[in-house]
Amino acid sequence: MVNLICEVSKYLCLVFMVLYTFKCFQIMMTKDEEKQNKRLNSQIVFVFIMHFLCYLTLYLRLDDMKILVFYGVQIFFAVFYMVVFHSIYKESSRLLTNNMSFLLLIGYIILTRLDFNLAVKQFVLATIGVIITSFIPLIMLKWKKLKDYGVAFGIIGLCFLVTVFIPGLGIEKYGSRNWIGIKGFTLQPMEFVKIIFVFFVASMLVKAYSLKDILVNAIISAAFMGLLVLEKDLGAAVIFYITYICMLYLATSRPIFIVGGISLGGVGVLMCYLLFKNSLFAHVLVRIEAWKNPFKYIDTGGYQVSQSLFALGTGGYLGSGLTMGRANTIPVSESDFIFSAICEEMGVIFGLALILVIVSIFLSFINVAMKCRKPFYKYIAFGFSVIYIIQSLLNIGGVTKFIPSTGVTLPLVSYGVSSVLSTLTIFLVVQGVCIISNKEAISNEKHKSRAQAKLAQSGAGVSAEGKRKNRKQ
Amino acid sequence: MVIAYSMVAVFLCLFGYIIYFMQFKSETVIANSRNVRQDSFADTVERGDIITSDGIVIATSSTDENGNTNRSYPYSNMFAHVTGYEGYGKSGLELQANFYMLRSHVNIFERVYNELAEQKNRGDNVVTTINFDLQKTAYEALGSCKGAVIAIEPSTGKIRAMVSKPDFDPNNIDAVWEYLQTEEGASSTILLNRATQGLYAPGSTFKVVTLLEYIRENSDYEEYTYSCQGQDIISHVNIHCYDSTAHGNETLQDSLAYSCNLSFANIGTTLNYANYRNTANKMLFNSALPYEGVYNQSVFEIDSSSKEEELPQTVIGQGNTRITPLHNALIAASIANGGVLMKPYLIERIENDDGAKIKEIKAKTYGELMTSKEAEILNTYMQAVCDYGTAARYFSGSAYDVAGKTGTAEYDNEGNCNSWFIGFCDTENPDLVVSVVVEDSNINGVSATSVAKQIFDTYYNINYGQ
Repeated sequence: MVNLICEVSKYLCLVFMVLYTFKCFQIMMTKDEEKQNKRLNSQIVFVFIMHFLCYLTLYLRLDDMKILVFYGVQIFFAVFYMVVFHSIYKESSRLLTNNMSFLLLIGYIILTRLDFNLAVKQFVLATIGVIITSFIPLIMLKWKKLKDYGVAFGIIGLCFLVTVFIPGLGIEKYGSRNWIGIKGFTLQPMEFVKIIFVFFVASMLVKAYSLKDILVNAIISAAFMGLLVLEKDLGAAVIFYITYICMLYLATSRPIFIVGGISLGGVGVLMCYLLFKNSLFAHVLVRIEAWKNPFKYIDTGGYQVSQSLFALGTGGYLGSGLTMGRANTIPVSESDFIFSAICEEMGVIFGLALILVIVSIFLSFINVAMKCRKPFYKYIAFGFSVIYIIQSLLNIGGVTKFIPSTGVTLPLVSYGVSSVLSTLTIFLVVQGVCIISNKEAISNEKHKSRAQAKLAQSGAGVSAEGKRKNRKQ
Repeated sequence: MVIAYSMVAVFLCLFGYIIYFMQFKSETVIANSRNVRQDSFADTVERGDIITSDGIVIATSSTDENGNTNRSYPYSNMFAHVTGYEGYGKSGLELQANFYMLRSHVNIFERVYNELAEQKNRGDNVVTTINFDLQKTAYEALGSCKGAVIAIEPSTGKIRAMVSKPDFDPNNIDAVWEYLQTEEGASSTILLNRATQGLYAPGSTFKVVTLLEYIRENSDYEEYTYSCQGQDIISHVNIHCYDSTAHGNETLQDSLAYSCNLSFANIGTTLNYANYRNTANKMLFNSALPYEGVYNQSVFEIDSSSKEEELPQTVIGQGNTRITPLHNALIAASIANGGVLMKPYLIERIENDDGAKIKEIKAKTYGELMTSKEAEILNTYMQAVCDYGTAARYFSGSAYDVAGKTGTAEYDNEGNCNSWFIGFCDTENPDLVVSVVVEDSNINGVSATSVAKQIFDTYYNINYGQ
């Protein structure tokens, strides 16, 4: 009987996942606020059903009361957050809040399956993170001079990055020296530096009036990338580089920066390769070889990717069902390879839908950026969209052998304090930008309608065009 | 916006790639024997059967009341090296087809019923290319001798029989394992599949390769003559023919038919070493074989730096050359199939428990080992072996014609030797290739050629009923 319930739950879960994904795009398409709200509400229902089914399966399979208690706490907090956040920030985007909660809940589910204690740890830290980051939009609304601290951002960011080289503080993991540890508590400075980096580039670009300004900006940005290469954290270097190029293009709208940027990047990689073929890049070459044929190097560099592909293939489109696969034999399945664990047990269809949800999150970020009229906030929102999507691409592409694996986390789903906190910050900063531009639009609207009312009173025939309601999303 | 669109495009590629992977790649990936997940299927699936191509079950499972699955092999040792064993790891088809047998494609109603009754689903069955009668004949013909037999259909690459002796009873794998732990068992090779893993000196069967090289280097090969005195010193090496018989004047075809060592040693003095090496490599020496199971690579050591004295022994298949019966069969198969080698394979198709086809494994071409012209010449010369040469006494008067090559490979200085035969029947349109090696033939008196003949006889009995 347990088998039957779990099997049925698995299929239902897939159905609701597909429905959820569908709603993500549907919500972005529509402009009617009422319809939107209805869809947003149904989205919440879908998430809770999925979440319930998964925890029911986990409880039935693992037969542990702890799981039920944990489930209850999660639900309480999720509902609390969704209600409270939106009632405080009325102009916030509910779609972003939904998606953020969705990703966190999916992460909790698969982490509970992999390692209960890890899931609890993740839940506690993420909850603290959610509470702290809730203040971000407030700070952004009050403190409007953020854009004047360009150079300061640059220096703080660089200082943070250097910390990993301090002996006794920096830690080397999987061939990259990109962690710091204080009393058993480890952090990845890069995760926070990428936020500071976006703020830095945005504030510099706002004030860049000449080629010289851009050049100064470029040199400092290059310093960031250089440090990351020295840390052998190439995944991060790629994220920073692409983000930088994209932001530069947005600010200048000159295609030359994209073309030039990509070719310069190519030359840079080639140079690094020739210079450090045997030292710095040795482990990169191993990874590329392993990418080309993971099964040939299954005992060494190809082990992780082979296991990940076994997981994906064996789980199949429908998945093995939670706890019925061997997700814990995938190396680092709780962080870098969490996507494979999800696919194996919850189904590749679930994974594919998750990819689409991620794309929809990216698009709604971009939407926020495009609607914003203040260049500084626009650049920031845009920069974060790029960071988010590139990081997701590097992660999912890496574990599915689409591209060589670079060892980055899947934002909000993977276990990891640094990763979760920084992604929450990104979401809430974008949320802040959304609130700012919505408020602005509303006050513009008021101005306009007042002006129009006056005009109408004065008898001039003006169409009611301006009455169009402002979109919130 | 350009950026947003291109990012979305990249993600669509990723999306498409994953579907492509699932559709076309995942089957091969998960069938990889390193995938530990295969065994977790065993919790819900009862391992499927292994069936011969003519429908006889050679490995099956039964589950007792306590849910313990027991694997049994109705023909005990006869198919031991084909099916392999299960428990203490796996070998043979139990390893190679593990994944298929642990997947179930029973219909949905049965699945729901089994689910509710908490019974295991029946796994899919593996239908091998092995023919029961041919396997039985080969098994019995080899008797108590050590050695190996492999029979392949040259036009498809289907392995029709594969026997290796000594063998073991996969029903009693516990006892086998216990035996292997004893002092006596420690040096035992019962688990070794000699057909694919046994490396033997090829003896005179290697003359086929030497002959091919000579034909390639000399377009006037038909003019070749040699006068055999039974014994001579060639390239500082003392060479003699079998029993030091003098063959007298002979053409190239006679040299092969009589398996004249002196004539071949003479040929050896004219060969270009680098080309010889090249030909041997092209014939898959020192290289991977297109075979999915476990096997060993054959060895051929002559190259441009070799010394003159190494040649006379090498050309007649002594020296340091080593070959597996499987590889020797592949050489004969490519000759039989006009120079084109078909990949040898053991799994014909996968069926569900009701016998409905789940997956069909198709014959695949490996490539050309020699031109069709060369294959035709070798075919003709090998017919001479069976018409009036060393194999004539076995095949003269048989209802079918045979092309082949015998061999007697000495493996020490005391005259101990292994008997070889490679060849195929129906030379116009070859039906079956057989490669046989019988160890210590000087002691047990069993000739590889007679084993091969029994297999050919059975083949025609099955197909044409004599």
